[in-house]
Amino acid sequence: MQHALIRKLESYETLSDKDRRALNALVPRIRQVGAHVDLAREGDPPDNVHLVLDGFACRYKVLADGKRQIMAYLVPGDFCDLNVFILDQMDHNIGTISQCQVADIPREAIEEITASYPLITRAFWWCALVDEAVLREWLVNMGARAADERIAHLLCELHARLEAVGHSKDDSYAFPFTQTDIADTMGLSNVHVHRTLRDLRGMGLITLNKRVLTILDVERLKDFCKFNANYLHLKNARWIERRSVIWPSQQQRG
Amino acid sequence: MPAHGNVETLVTMQPIAVDTGSDDSDGMLVMANGMLVAVLVRLSTSGHEQEGDWFVEVALGPLRAHPAPTFGDLDEATRWMRRHLRA
Repeated sequence: MQHALIRKLESYETLSDKDRRALNALVPRIRQVGAHVDLAREGDPPDNVHLVLDGFACRYKVLADGKRQIMAYLVPGDFCDLNVFILDQMDHNIGTISQCQVADIPREAIEEITASYPLITRAFWWCALVDEAVLREWLVNMGARAADERIAHLLCELHARLEAVGHSKDDSYAFPFTQTDIADTMGLSNVHVHRTLRDLRGMGLITLNKRVLTILDVERLKDFCKFNANYLHLKNARWIERRSVIWPSQQQRG
Repeated sequence: MPAHGNVETLVTMQPIAVDTGSDDSDGMLVMANGMLVAVLVRLSTSGHEQEGDWFVEVALGPLRAHPAPTFGDLDEATRWMRRHLRA
């Protein structure tokens, strides 16, 4: 079975069998990590690169008054810290939200694979670019969207990201987040999160049952928060042919 | 009028209905020395993690700087307001 990383990278680049074999060799050490466990702490020197294969993790900071801010969700196929190992110390924490399957990849293995496999390297760049694009979209979300649209947007984004790695089925996906997790992510109180989720349920847009979220009408939910998946750059939503002819070197020659 | 020394801030409350877009509509205007400083709302919608508690729906002035917990009763809320208005 293809692991979530291969599925994710293939949503950016068409990989060869050789690439896939190299990626399979990258994840020999897989371990189970419980919920609410830190994989890396602020101030620590980064060691291995962590890859989430199953479950949910997040990037977060804790303020002086104890308030937590979550800056990113990491879903199956996401590297927690692909390039962070270059840094001397972590500038944020990475912790699990739910029980996770995590692969610990020695930094040398990342350096070797990027030196020998150009398509994988390009797919890794895609990952980094999309991480930044998601962060930009979250900034827009926090600064410019109303509370109900903000949460709806997050639900649409998770749906698209999880579907791309085969972790969403029939518009349903695992939703281990507590109201407090969502509140700490969206800059809202958990009271507002509860009211908003209730409103979205009342509008017939979602159901949340036994920690499984189901989007009842994907198009209506997307329309409600004006969700545009362009920033996720998933291949099935891209015009690859057009992109492949606009490399600058080709433009200069032409 | 700011409170000085051991002169306690006079915190008074006035019931008011609040439109929160939910069933949480029983509210209190909170005044400190005659100035509106917060609006409290009782969490009545079923499923709230702190159902029945008083929630700071709106904080004004110095209270904005403090992440507020929810309060089991209005006395508890008054004590918290007084402590954070003193600074």
